[in-house]
Amino acid sequence: MSLNQIERAQGLRIRSSQDMAAGLFMILLAGLALVLSSDLPLGTLRQIGPGMLPKSFAVICAALGLMLCLASLRFNGEKLAGWSWRGVIFVLGGAILFGLTIRGFDLGPIKVPQLGLVVSGPLVVLVAGCAAEDVKWKELIIFAVVMTTFCALLFKYALSLPIPLAPWLLGI
Amino acid sequence: MDVFANLGLGFATVWKIVWWAPGFLQGAFAIPLPMNILLCFVGCLVGTLIGVLPGVGPIATIAMLLPITFGLDPVGALIMLAGIYYGAQYGGSTTAILVNIPGEATSVVTTLDGHQMAKQGRAGVALGTAALGSFFAGCVATVVIAALGAPLTKLALLFGPAEYFSLMVMGLCFAVVLARGSILKAFCMIMLGLLLSTVGTDLETGQERMTFGFAPLADGIDFAVLAMGVFGFAEVLRNLENPEARDVVRTKIGRLLPDWSDIKQSINPVLRGTTIGAILGILPGNGAVLGPFASYTVEKKIAKDPSRFGKGAIEGVAGPESANNAGAQTAFIPLLTLGIPPNAVMALMVGAMTIHGIIPGPQVMTKNPDLFWGLIVSMWIGNLMLLVINLPLIGLWVKLLQVPYRLMFPAILIFCCIGIYSVNNQPVDVAFTAMFGLFGYILIKLGFEPAPMLLGFVLGKLMEEKLRQALIISRGSFWTFVERPISAGLLLVAVAVLAIALLPSINKKRDEVFTE
Amino acid sequence: MKKLALGLAAAMSLAFAGGANAQAYPTKPVTMIVPFAAGGPTDIIARIVGDHMSKTLGQQIVIENVAGAGGTTGITRALTAAPDGYTIAMGHLGTFSAAPATYPGLKYDPFAGMQAIGLAGGTPILIVARKTLEAPDLKAFVAAVKANPDKFNEAHAGLGSVSWTTCTLLKGQLGVPKLNAVAYRGTGPALNDLVSGQIDFMCDQIVSVAEQVKAGTIKAYAIASEKRSPALPNVPTTTEAGLPDYQIEAWNGIAAPKGIPKEAVDKLVDALNKALNDEGTQKRLLDLGTVIPTAAERTPDGFAALIKRDAAKLDPALKAAPK
Repeated sequence: MSLNQIERAQGLRIRSSQDMAAGLFMILLAGLALVLSSDLPLGTLRQIGPGMLPKSFAVICAALGLMLCLASLRFNGEKLAGWSWRGVIFVLGGAILFGLTIRGFDLGPIKVPQLGLVVSGPLVVLVAGCAAEDVKWKELIIFAVVMTTFCALLFKYALSLPIPLAPWLLGI
Repeated sequence: MDVFANLGLGFATVWKIVWWAPGFLQGAFAIPLPMNILLCFVGCLVGTLIGVLPGVGPIATIAMLLPITFGLDPVGALIMLAGIYYGAQYGGSTTAILVNIPGEATSVVTTLDGHQMAKQGRAGVALGTAALGSFFAGCVATVVIAALGAPLTKLALLFGPAEYFSLMVMGLCFAVVLARGSILKAFCMIMLGLLLSTVGTDLETGQERMTFGFAPLADGIDFAVLAMGVFGFAEVLRNLENPEARDVVRTKIGRLLPDWSDIKQSINPVLRGTTIGAILGILPGNGAVLGPFASYTVEKKIAKDPSRFGKGAIEGVAGPESANNAGAQTAFIPLLTLGIPPNAVMALMVGAMTIHGIIPGPQVMTKNPDLFWGLIVSMWIGNLMLLVINLPLIGLWVKLLQVPYRLMFPAILIFCCIGIYSVNNQPVDVAFTAMFGLFGYILIKLGFEPAPMLLGFVLGKLMEEKLRQALIISRGSFWTFVERPISAGLLLVAVAVLAIALLPSINKKRDEVFTE
Repeated sequence: MKKLALGLAAAMSLAFAGGANAQAYPTKPVTMIVPFAAGGPTDIIARIVGDHMSKTLGQQIVIENVAGAGGTTGITRALTAAPDGYTIAMGHLGTFSAAPATYPGLKYDPFAGMQAIGLAGGTPILIVARKTLEAPDLKAFVAAVKANPDKFNEAHAGLGSVSWTTCTLLKGQLGVPKLNAVAYRGTGPALNDLVSGQIDFMCDQIVSVAEQVKAGTIKAYAIASEKRSPALPNVPTTTEAGLPDYQIEAWNGIAAPKGIPKEAVDKLVDALNKALNDEGTQKRLLDLGTVIPTAAERTPDGFAALIKRDAAKLDPALKAAPK
């Protein structure tokens, strides 16, 4: 699969938008890695520096990305499929909210107190639950309470992991 | 005949009756209890539980239980902790098969065909095969430890940094075979995994690499965070998109246990997986991680119809699961015979032994024979217990799949969140996992398979470390990898595997060059 | 039931009063952050000592492992927590004495910016080598290293680790700071390659290497403390073996954020002392090869002085080390 053969192909058009996007994505990530690791010394063969492997991997990633792009001009493949924001926002948003509230958070002007599992648990279930098209609120609220209680008993007491339950209310 | 005498000692230790005089009876009488057997059972039960829960690994649990074991005698304590460890390996496959979340690096491979089987309504068969294969592998590995533990120790000492590097290169070549679709895309994912593995503080110089100056990234990306993001969260997003596909899983419930034809199909993969896993498990430096991958590669390569793999092939569950469990068991060899822990869980076992005043070293076998042989016999009994615990549970797990998805995924999510949090007690990790969920979703959309990336990620850290060590020791000469016979042999296998993977596609028509 | 009600009432009053009543400390579990993974030497000492301290304090000491960046991640979290006495940390030589010279961007100040509580245990350091190394004793080894530094490979468990810190001190004192250092991810793999003879020597805590030395799979040149260890009575001290300047111990100690109530400091010091005086706890620590701290070292002032002393000792070698 040399370049010549690819150029010999009749006409240059994107035959697989998925592969083209995939190639560009690889090149983008490789570029980001190269920028981030630009100040790391390469070192010598005898004493490889911290930058040697990240930079080499990034260059190979970019090269593979380029090959994917070129291949997408030559070979027929899949089209880029649609994208669902609903799931991304609610599911991932729910998880992030859990991370922010379980131990509290302090980033400049935004301050969240340490709320613990008693708050974070129902929060993640309720927010994530919105991602389903057939959401039933009553059922979800009961489920959130049951799941949180179950998780508190399981993780905090049965497995005795150090998870804050509700430091502002119970002190634990 | 020595082995039999030793095993006898082991059985005597495990069945030792302890007269338990509970405080509330005020010494009126004591109850005879086979304490060690009970502890073994408790360990296996707890292990299964934490194995099933995503994120909560054996490391966190064993650490939490350490103080509780203060009051026990050391043999009992270790029997219980070991039970948690291999119980967790058993349980890990459950989550991988049911919800496509690999709890540990070793169950990544199980998601490939195991979860596909579940989607086809064969969850019970997949779980049953995994349990039976693991049981067989566990029994064989226990015999290997008992009979060959001491001589096999030498194998571990033959492996220096150069050999490990070549082993890792060989492992990466296996990853190419893991790919379901385009080989070029599989290469992309391996390299991306390697790139991700370099994030974090450099071991040698302490320089931060690609961390955006962000402190939580200083130690690199945690495996659980990456795996749960690109597998667990991304899978939830994918399922939310196709309500039809997930409801099929719900309605189709097949047999609960493998039937005779399933078993016949699995026997050879189980035998091969056990052999591969047992050998790799002995290597310190976490060689056991490669076991399932290697087993999968072998099964796919020798299969009459490799295209079945990735679409619910039972061999793709039986082989890797046996390799996983065999490796988990033989990983005790370096610990018990050399006193050197080959992975993080074994390091914790060292901690547990130390707390009980047994400092692990080459003399444990002669100085504490009851501990050594008791532990080995308890492993065999533990494997039997795990089978007894797990087979009846299969029905329950399969029933869980019938929960409506609108409730199932919030439950998966809350378990994942708590699990990830408990890995390092770092809330930021949960946010990272969400980001990797988005990343995994993008990968799915772009037609990439995340499994090779995870292998690249796992091997990347070890590979860089070993490459740098080998080159410092050889004073910068690459010949070290070829001059050392074992290293050269491993590299040859790597080249052969790569050639086998690529050659058929070269002969095919040009349009198919990039697909298997 | 009564206990629960009392606890609830206390917790409620706490929530409403908005601060801890010094008289009542501790009214809730105390979190002890261990900045390393569970099962390591620091973690084990924290669990052994914490177990007994819980009894004295009447509240559970919860161990929380926050690993990362040579232990500095966990210590940063502990020292930036609210100074109420409910968050303390178990650090070691590396995180308190060596970190300022090792990590330029360190976010805490172990000298002026923290409340030392006391030393929990000291672990002697051994200089060990592969059994096939020619040098029969420490003097011959030192001479060989000085004459031909490029022939040797040293193993350590990563920048900032105890083995790295103590070996850097050794190399600094021998005048060979650039000697080939092979980094491993943890003491276990490093020890494996030492046993198999891939590398030549390393410095590590007695608990990690003692059994290997006893079994003869590696050899020990000297122990870097004033007295020989009862665990390895045949290994000479560095003074006896001709390197008297090399004295270092990998100690573990407890610290808290600066400004915690005096009552809390006193109660924690008292609990630590009671733990270290307890026979069962002592036996567990001695089994690890740990040296039980002297009465002076168990006090805030004594511990703070120790941190400063070792920092001064390590500073020149750490600053000269290639990074």
